[in-house]
Amino acid sequence: MEVVVLDNATVIAIIICIVAFPILMTPVILYSCRFSEKLRNGLSLVVSAVTFLLTLSLYPFVIGGGIVQYTLFEVLPNLEVSLRLDILSFCLAALASFVWFLCTVYSIDYMAKEHACSRYYPVLIFTLGSCQGIFFAGDLFSLFVFFELMSLIAYILVIHEETEEALKAGYKYLVMTIIGGLALFFGLIIIFELGGTVSLGVGVIIQESSLLALLAFICFLIGFGMKAGMFPLHVWLPDAHPVAPSPASALLSGIMLKTGAYGLLRVIFNVFSPELLKSSGWDIILGVLAVITILLGSAVALTQTDIKRRLAYSSISQLGYVLLGFSILNNNAITGAIFHIFSHAFMKSILFLAAGAIIWKTGKRNIADLKGIGRQMPITMGCFSIAALAMIGIPPLNGFLSKWTLALGALDANLVIYVLVLLISSLLNALYYLPIIIPAFFEMPGETNHEDHDHHEIHFNIEEATPRMLSVMVVLALCTFIFGLTPNNIVFALSRLTAAFLLLGGNL
Amino acid sequence: MGLADHFPALIIVVMFISAFLSPLLYRWAEKVSSYFVTASLLTAFVFSVALLVQVQQSGPVLYYMGGWPPPWGIELRADPLRVYILIVVISVSLWIFLYALRDLKHELKKTVIGWYYSLYSILVGSMAGIALTNDLFNLFVLMEICAISACAIISIKEDRECLEASFKYLILSAMGTGCFLLGVAMLYMATGYLNYSFIQVELAEAIIHYPLNIFTAAALFIAAFGTKAALFPLHVWLPDAHASAPTPSSAMLSGLVIKIYAFALFLMFYQVFPKTMLDTIPLNEIILWMAALGTMFGSIYAMIQTDLKKMLAYSSIGQISYIFMGIGFHHDLALVGGFYHIMVHAVTKALLFMTAGVIIYSTGVRKISDLAGIGRVLPLAMLAFTIGSASMIGIPGTGGLISKWYLALSALEIGRPFFVLVILASSLLNAIYYMPIVINAFMHQEDFQHDVRTVPLFMQVSLLVGMVFIIISGFFSRPVVSLLEQAASLLF
Repeated sequence: MEVVVLDNATVIAIIICIVAFPILMTPVILYSCRFSEKLRNGLSLVVSAVTFLLTLSLYPFVIGGGIVQYTLFEVLPNLEVSLRLDILSFCLAALASFVWFLCTVYSIDYMAKEHACSRYYPVLIFTLGSCQGIFFAGDLFSLFVFFELMSLIAYILVIHEETEEALKAGYKYLVMTIIGGLALFFGLIIIFELGGTVSLGVGVIIQESSLLALLAFICFLIGFGMKAGMFPLHVWLPDAHPVAPSPASALLSGIMLKTGAYGLLRVIFNVFSPELLKSSGWDIILGVLAVITILLGSAVALTQTDIKRRLAYSSISQLGYVLLGFSILNNNAITGAIFHIFSHAFMKSILFLAAGAIIWKTGKRNIADLKGIGRQMPITMGCFSIAALAMIGIPPLNGFLSKWTLALGALDANLVIYVLVLLISSLLNALYYLPIIIPAFFEMPGETNHEDHDHHEIHFNIEEATPRMLSVMVVLALCTFIFGLTPNNIVFALSRLTAAFLLLGGNL
Repeated sequence: MGLADHFPALIIVVMFISAFLSPLLYRWAEKVSSYFVTASLLTAFVFSVALLVQVQQSGPVLYYMGGWPPPWGIELRADPLRVYILIVVISVSLWIFLYALRDLKHELKKTVIGWYYSLYSILVGSMAGIALTNDLFNLFVLMEICAISACAIISIKEDRECLEASFKYLILSAMGTGCFLLGVAMLYMATGYLNYSFIQVELAEAIIHYPLNIFTAAALFIAAFGTKAALFPLHVWLPDAHASAPTPSSAMLSGLVIKIYAFALFLMFYQVFPKTMLDTIPLNEIILWMAALGTMFGSIYAMIQTDLKKMLAYSSIGQISYIFMGIGFHHDLALVGGFYHIMVHAVTKALLFMTAGVIIYSTGVRKISDLAGIGRVLPLAMLAFTIGSASMIGIPGTGGLISKWYLALSALEIGRPFFVLVILASSLLNAIYYMPIVINAFMHQEDFQHDVRTVPLFMQVSLLVGMVFIIISGFFSRPVVSLLEQAASLLF
């Protein structure tokens, strides 16, 4: 088969399209609200689909080892707005636009009951554009700009319900975002001062460790770690993610958290270097924080009674795995971390979407009320169960593969303690996911009052979500399954390539 | 000598002519009067751009008033930095004036509008003069003109609050001018000159013989310009004056007038005092710490305000401190940042005051808590407010970021990362009081129950111009920055 490899100019044009198209379409969608809801929904769907397809079209170029680094214009001397495509940006961008597309499909039915949809859809699409902008940014400055843009606009998604609780959570989110943004700015300016450039295309910017460099590293850790829900900057996350509408929660937890992880990857590999981190011992900071994040997230998730809050805490712990992978810094660990970015995006999106479907259909948010819900919504709960099992790390689901690879990485680095952490956390995952799924299928609502009831009689009383919502969840569930079955799947191969690429220097 | 040789003087003269004729014209034909002032401002703008071209091509332009050479005659000097300030002053005044055309009819009695035009022209003329003059006594005269006309455009509203505020302003401003005059006397005693360049040369010698005189003069200058530019803790007059004034006056005062004094202080440091003096006495250090405190306290005071215009006024205290920081760092990058901020803040704060004016014009609401849900009825105004706030906070894509970038960079360059933290912390504080207003305005849309008047097209266009400019200054800062870099390289 002949693969058409695109030339650089086309690739640049495509990348600009991927970022600019959703952003430019935002006013169009906003305007279309005046005419009909159908038109608005259709347009949003088309825009996210086109973005996804455009991103996919870069695949042959990327897999052929292509890298593009292109300066659009200079804002200040040596401070430019540029774009970059390498395998890492491709992975994240493809993942983001894929999940985004599915969530948009899901939104159409889910949001039909909600108010202010004429605000929701434009914001959703705009966030997509800025999120893609983060992944295709060619220098830290553009990355920072898009990062801030996305974070600030996502505020509107967080407070969509406009309840007291949502506004409070939103305020917390906003303050943390701005603190994070300022920390990033501080880091950025130190890097610029030390290295004279912030481009991601020049290889390693900071060659030797110094107090200022450490300060910059900590600033980046604060800025990006805040987004990724890293301890102790996770405080906004459990409030902000659950109050958003479920498709937005799925995106916040599934994709937008990953922008923080992506930023850290760029900082580790393109600004500093793994060698520098190891020799100066900064990887230990990351490792310790990651371990605390993993254990704390899981432990607190146990105590939550609201299903979406439990999922949000679980996100914190899962992102801890990714950070742990970053701190180990060897081939297997990085592969595992990147693969876990994919896995977690799929799993957490399902969980939030399924939880959303349940809330949408029955209005139940409290975990204690979810007994027997599996008999009412078997497909939704089935997808939820698959994702939950994947979270726990049961083969052959993708969560297992990421944990396995991470554990291998930890062993390669002789860090047996990390393997232990992974195991404990899996146990904790089981402890808080199983009590949701087991009663959902095997207990009846209001069980204790009917002592003479036959427990084993299967009594379905099906009231499912709409087919469109279900199909989204099923597609994602299939992804968790297919990409976990064997290590010979495309996502794992991509993660492996990316890890190798990054460890070989990150800019060939 | 052709017309082109007289640009420095003509810019000032045009504005003063406009000041004399506009109230007369207003008696006969109101429209013509406003066109006349607009035309004068436009002419001044064209002249100042032409002056910039001259300066770019053939270096600093020196102009002797009446053909009398210094040290006896008055000298005007146009170097890149001064012309930059001049252009900012005149273009922002022109923009604010276009807004004022509609707004004044709402805020003032009809009979005084002609006088307002006159005062406005005098104010612009005197600021242009302060930017250009190279003579201390001339500066003193222009400062007095500027202060009195500034007081007058506050008190012209003639309500109790305005009169009180302008009286307070007048007294403190007079004290400032008094300090300045004493300082000038000290320098004159030590050197026998009033011309900046001559003093600078002479002082290099005189500083050995009269160190106390000259240090006292420096202290007096800091007090004088600090009071006038509302450098913390000499800012007490500002919030009342800027908040109670008619909107165009607030925009002028907060946007331009305080900055021109900051610039004048800068000129004292770099064109009057000899270079060695800045190295031996920590003048910059004093400014720097006052500014650092100002950025914090200005924002903290702003946070507790309930009146929108008062909040904006306190925010100006924080923002002017950035400009003083730019002077205080004593570094060329900081200078670029500080002076870029003069432009950015002039536009941003004027835009914010205009937005406040539009809100007051259209709904009569002044209290921050009453603004909830106003985004539904005044979307354009609140969008302008959002962009203005973003620039105040320094969100990427707005001009505010560029100035902060340079300031922070120079703080690192001189090895004082502490001040980067100050800048960041103050950005955070800005966010804390600007963001809730923006959010509330777009939320709770059913809460807003006031009657709404339609906003005139002129006002809307003015808001739009400001917004566009803020965005442009965030992305395409190169031309201005390179002009400032060139100017800074002449100084360091």
